[in-house]
Amino acid sequence: MIARSLHPGARLALALSIALLSIAPQLSAQTLERDKAPKVGKAPSLKVPAWTKTKLANGAELIVVEKHDLPLVALNIDFIGGASNYEPADKLGVAALAAQMLSEGTKTKTADRLSDAQQMLGTSIFANVAGESGTIRFTSLKDKFEPAMTLLADMLLNSTFPDSAIERNRARTLVGLTQAKDQPNSIAANVFSKVVYGDEHPYGRVVSEKTVTAITRGDVTSFANAYFRPGRAVITVTGDIDAKTARNVVEKTLAAWPAGGERPTFAYGPVPAPKARTIYLIDKPKAAQSVFALGEPGPPRSTPDYYAIQVMNHLLGGMFQSRLNHDIREVKGYSYGVNSGFAYGRGPGAFRAGGGIVSAKSDSALIGFMTHFKGVQGEMPFTDDELTVGKESLIQSLPGRFATVNGIAAAISSIYTQDLPETYFKDYAAKIDAVTRDDLVRAAKKYIDVDHMNLVIVGDRASIEGALKATGIAPIQILDVEGRPVLVP
Amino acid sequence: MLCSVFVYPLPAFSTLHQPTMRLPRTLHLATLVALAAAAPAFAQSRGSGVNIPFERMTLPNGLEVILSPDHTVPQVAVNVWYHVGSKNEVPGRTGFAHMFEHVMFTGSGHVPYGMHDRLTEGVGGTNNGSTSNDRTNYYEIVPANYLESALWLESDRMGFLLDKLDEAKFKAQRDIVQNERRQGTDNQPYGRANEIVTTALYPEANPYSWPIVGYLSDLQKAGVDDVKEFFRTYYAPSNATIAIVGDFQPKQAKAWVTKYFGDLKRGAAISRPKVPAVTLTAEKRLVFEDRVQIPRLYIAWPSVGDDKDDVYALQFLVQILSGPRTARLTKALVYDLQSAANVGASNRGYENSGVFGISITPRPGHSLAEVEATSDSIITRLKQEGPTAEELAKTSAGLEFGFVSLLQSNLGKADVLNDGLVFHGDAARFKRDYAKLKAVSAADVKRVANKYLGAGRVVLSVVPLGKADQASMASRSTKVTVAPDGGHYIMGDK
Repeated sequence: MIARSLHPGARLALALSIALLSIAPQLSAQTLERDKAPKVGKAPSLKVPAWTKTKLANGAELIVVEKHDLPLVALNIDFIGGASNYEPADKLGVAALAAQMLSEGTKTKTADRLSDAQQMLGTSIFANVAGESGTIRFTSLKDKFEPAMTLLADMLLNSTFPDSAIERNRARTLVGLTQAKDQPNSIAANVFSKVVYGDEHPYGRVVSEKTVTAITRGDVTSFANAYFRPGRAVITVTGDIDAKTARNVVEKTLAAWPAGGERPTFAYGPVPAPKARTIYLIDKPKAAQSVFALGEPGPPRSTPDYYAIQVMNHLLGGMFQSRLNHDIREVKGYSYGVNSGFAYGRGPGAFRAGGGIVSAKSDSALIGFMTHFKGVQGEMPFTDDELTVGKESLIQSLPGRFATVNGIAAAISSIYTQDLPETYFKDYAAKIDAVTRDDLVRAAKKYIDVDHMNLVIVGDRASIEGALKATGIAPIQILDVEGRPVLVP
Repeated sequence: MLCSVFVYPLPAFSTLHQPTMRLPRTLHLATLVALAAAAPAFAQSRGSGVNIPFERMTLPNGLEVILSPDHTVPQVAVNVWYHVGSKNEVPGRTGFAHMFEHVMFTGSGHVPYGMHDRLTEGVGGTNNGSTSNDRTNYYEIVPANYLESALWLESDRMGFLLDKLDEAKFKAQRDIVQNERRQGTDNQPYGRANEIVTTALYPEANPYSWPIVGYLSDLQKAGVDDVKEFFRTYYAPSNATIAIVGDFQPKQAKAWVTKYFGDLKRGAAISRPKVPAVTLTAEKRLVFEDRVQIPRLYIAWPSVGDDKDDVYALQFLVQILSGPRTARLTKALVYDLQSAANVGASNRGYENSGVFGISITPRPGHSLAEVEATSDSIITRLKQEGPTAEELAKTSAGLEFGFVSLLQSNLGKADVLNDGLVFHGDAARFKRDYAKLKAVSAADVKRVANKYLGAGRVVLSVVPLGKADQASMASRSTKVTVAPDGGHYIMGDK
């Protein structure tokens, strides 16, 4: 039996199908040419949301973006600068812990009451500090915006940082760190950071048991008090609210937030000198896959080559039908998916390519990666069609960033947190469109250093080491899950 | 279907960025909460703006079409659901529905391989597909001027997939699917737990007893003839629905749908698998040694699927037990006793079956037996007392926000509309879901807790290699191993 016939709506469906029958002959009179893709109408023009930007008395910047189709409001407080800028090297983890502690109770509300109050508003206030920025944010129904903002202000201004909660969060973090050492992707990411940036550069520092254990309550409170300050804050209110109301609510709820807080310069020390190309193998006995993380330090977000790099990487390993994924996944079947990307950042964020590779094809896949790195540098010239696809794909995906209040908030606030020109989105299409084939090759040569690439592979050493060695791509160094050399017996 | 997934806690550490991939996408717990709706309560504050307005059309060949314009951004989502999933497979050939989904991306009669991506991601859009136990879907999100292209693409693989079936492409996809399994299951710490629990909970012949992604040894068996037969059986317009949501004019879209899908042939009647109600008369205790340093406990009970109204109260039960810090299990285990690092609960509601599950990761110095005892005592108390009015109010408060948030996604709306139509014959099912969720009472929650969270359950201890003694009640726990060919799990000596 066809399930549809069970549907209560079947009668209506029947009526509709009879109605359609009457128009069907007209349509079938034309011969349908399925061989040709349909002609395409004019591309929709980009509508970048408008926003207002003002400054509060305490120095925080306030952005308001109105979007009135649904009764939602997103509130983001972004803090410029993060763990890479402010964490002491021996206390890594203090930034994230400080953010967690904002949910652990205030002078007038226990942590449970804070949580219950958020649940009753149908919202959840999230706080975190990442490498170069921090955030406190929530999204709520329009009529819950002010009460939710009041809770957020209480957390921001009146948190009590109880000792017992610090110990609990520390213990949970330690469990997570232990579990991460069983997780091949986490191992690859951590070792990659250490190998590429070393212990001295902030990008090479990885939170460990040692640094988390060293954090005191005093460290947490000093970090929180110094960090969550309006001088480095960009507050973005997005959604079904007008600029005046938004400002009134923000000013009222954050009235007690005193001025202060500097923005970091993002002047980091140098990255380690490039090393000869090396395979760094971390043993994961009997692993079903080898996890690859291949790369090196890349350019900061402010690079004038940004647009050329974007198009080049999109074609190399950004899209599903990028060269890497097309070849290594779709044609060869070695993986469920591989990719490449530039992390940018305010400093030299990494270029990294990789993915999970079936153990038995680790060598072939590595050869494939190297072939494509050299390919985009000129050995396999970009076709006209690739150039067209790369550009159109990037340009026409832009409207999708403005579909949700959270998407809009992230897009508009990024202009200020990443120090971009205010015309960034308006100019985007023209800048991408201006990229030439020569630009792509130049960017690939300049930012993909094949000779000094760090090839981090987490996999079953017993079954892959010999084959990797036989490729002759690079000498192999065995590391442990912390990135320390393992003495070969 | 109010399908949610087990939300097992995973460490929040960075993983490699993955590109757009054909990952299974299911409706999450959040969507369930979101699956709210045209809430009467909400209607007061915003009128028709919080509904999902739509119209329907049915072609003579049985294809059901849902159209829901939304002009917020100049994009449109086309989302095709076929009423077939892993449930329609047979033991020994598991994973085929999902593998077939991959074959649908290898080109069709008039669409060469690569064209699909060219006309979606290549023009700023995206595409993907996913397979659940009960259905398979395919979607495109494209700039508004590519709607006709998307319909052309979908109609061609619905009608003409077999015309240019390429053996080499098929074999590559068969390898890729095995890699998907390796990546998502075999190479993940605790990755097999879900499969072991499911295998133990369902009788062998039950179509929900095997994993969607399938067993490695079964995946290697599939051939081109299997693809042909599967396509002819399940991939007909009469077994499909298509939801179009976004920036388009319905009149034009209807004409295009008729143009491209109108001449496809209706399929033969499909016999659906019978799914007997699952009961466990006694507790099954299992232990599995995994490459992990920290053990984890999984407890699962047979519950009910989305064809039964108890799913609504079960969903409340999930929220009352885990999630926010004041949820009962979370509060007791993570905050008050501090014996656990993480706790998760979920009710997976399939089309006609369900599993209620809990997972607990203990902190060092605390055993699986200890956290199990705590969890049991919390649940026993909830079964005796029922939830408080405040617990109900907190859960209910999140529904409205969840639904309105969902309305921001064209794809999300298309899934909700398809879900209602495919599993309940009613694209507007979300309204009923919302009303039923809003009406859940303390007595309902107490009743379902007593009805489903009983003695018949599966308790799985996942422990480090060689540490079977860390299992909760180790002496009563049957050891689980993976069959040498990767084909199934061996429980004890069987």
